[in-house]
Amino acid sequence: MSLGTAPAPSAPTAGPPQAGGRAAEPRSGRRHWFTVVLVLAMLAAVLASVARGYYRDGPLEPDAPTAQGSKAVVQVLEDLGVDVDVDRHTADAVEALHSGRTVLVTAPGSLGAEQIIALADAQEEAGGRLVLVQPDLVTLSYLSPQISPPAPLHTGGQVEAGPDCGDLSQGAGVLELPTAEDGIRGAASLYRVGDAGSSCFSTEEGALVAEHDGVLVLGSADLLTNDGVGRADNSALVLGSLGADGELSWYAPSATDPMSSTSQTLLGYLPDWAGPLLLWLLLVAAVALVALGRRFGPVVVEPLPVTVRPQELVLGRARLLQRSNSRDAAARALRSATSTRLADRFGLRHESALDGLLAALAPHVDRTPEQLRMLLGPTPVTSDQGLVRLAHDLDRLEKEIDR
Amino acid sequence: MIVLWPHWWVLLILVALWALVVLADALRATDPRRIRVQRQAPTQVRLGNTVGGRLLLTNPTSRAAALEVRDAWNPTAGLESQRSSLDVPAQERRAVPQSFTPTRRGEHRSRALLISSRGPLGLARRTTTVDAPGRLLALHPFGSRRHLPSRVQRLREIEGLAAIHQRGQGTEFDSLRDFVDGDDVRSIDWRATARRRSVVVRTWRPERDRHVLIVVDTSRTSAGRLGESTRLDAAFDSALLLTALAGQAGDRVDLICVDRIPHLSVLGSTRTKVLHDMVTATAAVEPALVETDWELAASTISQRARRGALVVLITPVEASVIHTGLLPVAARLAKDHPLVVASVADPALEQLAAGRGDLETVYRAAAAEQARSEQAGVSHALERVGAHVVDAPPDRAPQALADAYLALKAAGKL
Repeated sequence: MSLGTAPAPSAPTAGPPQAGGRAAEPRSGRRHWFTVVLVLAMLAAVLASVARGYYRDGPLEPDAPTAQGSKAVVQVLEDLGVDVDVDRHTADAVEALHSGRTVLVTAPGSLGAEQIIALADAQEEAGGRLVLVQPDLVTLSYLSPQISPPAPLHTGGQVEAGPDCGDLSQGAGVLELPTAEDGIRGAASLYRVGDAGSSCFSTEEGALVAEHDGVLVLGSADLLTNDGVGRADNSALVLGSLGADGELSWYAPSATDPMSSTSQTLLGYLPDWAGPLLLWLLLVAAVALVALGRRFGPVVVEPLPVTVRPQELVLGRARLLQRSNSRDAAARALRSATSTRLADRFGLRHESALDGLLAALAPHVDRTPEQLRMLLGPTPVTSDQGLVRLAHDLDRLEKEIDR
Repeated sequence: MIVLWPHWWVLLILVALWALVVLADALRATDPRRIRVQRQAPTQVRLGNTVGGRLLLTNPTSRAAALEVRDAWNPTAGLESQRSSLDVPAQERRAVPQSFTPTRRGEHRSRALLISSRGPLGLARRTTTVDAPGRLLALHPFGSRRHLPSRVQRLREIEGLAAIHQRGQGTEFDSLRDFVDGDDVRSIDWRATARRRSVVVRTWRPERDRHVLIVVDTSRTSAGRLGESTRLDAAFDSALLLTALAGQAGDRVDLICVDRIPHLSVLGSTRTKVLHDMVTATAAVEPALVETDWELAASTISQRARRGALVVLITPVEASVIHTGLLPVAARLAKDHPLVVASVADPALEQLAAGRGDLETVYRAAAAEQARSEQAGVSHALERVGAHVVDAPPDRAPQALADAYLALKAAGKL
């Protein structure tokens, strides 16, 4: 039964200090990566949520679910099997007209002359249908001169289809526009059309819907909005007239349209080469700055010797005394200081009692012994003003003796 | 070109060309590593004075060098301008004048010396660090020097050139001379009188070659800022005046600085060199935020001080010092040595104590009076155990300590 020498447990040699330092570095590096990944993930989440909920809002925007948008009409048309296309540029709309589609122009008033002429030419050549929402005089003069300048319809409310409507009413009997009380959109427009065209939903001044030679004019944008399409028979008219061909291009004019550059911006007056030249100057400056702007040596840090405000203790004690309203303690300190100084002047021992000091003082001041005792004796101080007065009185007493 | 052909590739080519020009300029610049630098720096200056130095730059290349030099001293070294630019022609040498006005006592160093060389077009530069160590010691201003002549005069009077003769422990026999009116009758040497017709008196003079050990406390309390400088500065001012005076009196002076450890000592300097040694050694001493270990200091003092040597403790007399155990140590020291405790008082305390404006200042005055009475109590306690306490504001502390020393000399206690 021999006890074998147990193998000496090989002591886990602690890594040299440099090893610890090296181990610490990757950890900080990993934390760096962790931070970067976290930030990226958060950015991605934010972007995704923004992108999912994003739609372009505006009057008659096909994606907008707001009151002024037209998501309802577009979705119902798509459910009915109509191929709805959204165009933002005039060129696309012209192409759609060429290929025989129906084109709805949501805001003809915002089109420039060039764009209107392009649309008119395309419509004349190819014969696609053009639906205009509340066009103004200028637009109409280009696109359909037969339809006459609009007269405003202020009252709103219901407009009944007349007897001479025919196909144009698409089976709708009554159109309803929001009244002033609903306060949603501006006035509708009324149109008058020549003999060759047809019109419907007329009042004495004109009709709300007019057609001439493939151009259909709707007198109010409220017929198409999410809010207005559900009223009365509006939906029948809208769906019927827009979905008739089974193909619809929803043209919402946008400011970024290359053909819409109606007015030149300030930058537009610069010559073509200005941009590249500016960029070149920037790059040259950057190269020069990198070459010249490097820091010239290290920042010199200097460890300065420590200094301490020596009165901190005294000031702190003063604040403590004041906060605890220790008027008597303060008065005691002031009185004993004055007593000590006076005793020094009279050559008295500091330890001698108050009586000795008062007796020595009495011949030199014109105060009664009672007053002196009040001043130097342990009389309680009742108010803050009393303390200040005491301090001044002690001062005066010392000055009196000094004289 | 870009105006004529506004294209992206033209832009690219131009940028590349520009980068090439900059690069070529950098390559054309003189290699700053070949510039030889020689530093002619002063080694020490009294604080408050200005001292000049030079940097000598030699250009051994065959091309002129447009140089910019940055000598990065620490800011309190007070170098007038850290940067300078100059042209050094080929094979020639130029000097950069420098002037230092240090604003802080202690050692100042040049942390880095950089030389950059600009290209001929001035578009690029090459920089290098030069190894040219610079060190400047800003010495204690020793403002109390001006009080030395009057104290030396007084010392001469005591020493026997005037008529104040008194026998005591710290005096030695000087000479015999005839009695004149006014001499102390106790100093008549009867044996010598018997041999001659006239009455002869013995004269005594203070013993020479005594030992003075100055102990400066560099702990937390010495870091207090009194007026312009710290308490430690005033302490050194006192120590230096005492050293100068004791040197005149023929005494040997040693100095120890203590806080947790005795960290600096000037021991065994010769009489002529001691002041210089002390000024140099104390230049770099700064306060430390620790409490003084007085027991350790006492053991150091008993090792260093000869029997009967004057021990001067320069430490603030405050209530806090008593808690750190100064009192028993002082009692023990005072048994073996004449002991002076020199304290630099805070003049702000007096101002606070005189405040009478509103309630707050009155409370402050009360607190200041309380602190003063505590200090007076500590002074009394120290005097009761046998120490001489000298307590004066910084502008009077050196004179007060010198006067205490002279009083000890005059009393024949030293």
